[in-house]
Amino acid sequence: MSPAQYVDQQVSRAKFDREIAEYRQLESDYLRRGWLLVRAEFPNVLVVLAAPQLSPAAIVTGVAFDYTNYDMQPPSVRLVHPFTAEPYKAKDLPTVLMRSVEAGAPPIPGLQLPLGAQARFIAQQPLMQSYGPDDTPFLCLAGVREYHDHPGHSGDAWELHRRSGAGRLVRLLETISKYGVQPISEYQITLQPRIAGFAQREVPS
Amino acid sequence: MPNNEVDLAIVVNGQPTVVRANTNAPLRTVIARALEQTGNAGQPPENWELRDAAGAPLPLDQKIGDFNFAADVRLFLNLKAGVGGVA
Repeated sequence: MSPAQYVDQQVSRAKFDREIAEYRQLESDYLRRGWLLVRAEFPNVLVVLAAPQLSPAAIVTGVAFDYTNYDMQPPSVRLVHPFTAEPYKAKDLPTVLMRSVEAGAPPIPGLQLPLGAQARFIAQQPLMQSYGPDDTPFLCLAGVREYHDHPGHSGDAWELHRRSGAGRLVRLLETISKYGVQPISEYQITLQPRIAGFAQREVPS
Repeated sequence: MPNNEVDLAIVVNGQPTVVRANTNAPLRTVIARALEQTGNAGQPPENWELRDAAGAPLPLDQKIGDFNFAADVRLFLNLKAGVGGVA
């Protein structure tokens, strides 16, 4: 549910309109990357992200933005079903936006590195976070309302990111596309063979 | 415009701007200029990433002239994801 608009609506609307106008200006570039802006009506935007690198191309996810109170508040961002705009539950997410990050080295007994060498540990971490499979997950990223509203991120206030454009439409789409769509290289197919009976070489007379 | 200069269209978080660059300079030099021209003062240049129209990251230490960019090229400069991913 959208929060109440308490910022002067003209201000939020003007900033929202700028986001949409700039997007429209380069829409053909974005379309080639598989971004389809299907609805933009203040304060909501729905963009469908497809993977044009696949053949046939596939729709990966919808992304719903809510720019209520922008940019006093960052936008809300949800991954949603592309045709119903219903937010995905964690268990139904088509992508969790997995990213590689450098992680602290765990203690490895007996590990001896040559002089001057350093071990780098890379961990994989989803940007979509939730507490359970039936929760609506949130995008754990500075510039997103759900991130800044989370008590675990009270030390990383929106005001620290506001001037860098962290909540801008294209920036958020770039991030979702980078981790959720661009890495897709092919369809993953699982086949489950079932024994349906016996085949016979011939039917004896 | 001198022979060693080129105008590059750079889209910063969705906002287009044109940066005049020296073809002998590494690509990373356009980042600070593009941020300055678009008023993006909140994050240092190293927190941004530059990609081509297909979304592929560009090597920032390569000389601008070596890319042989087309006249109508558009590059996309976006804020990196930064810290996150922990609820």
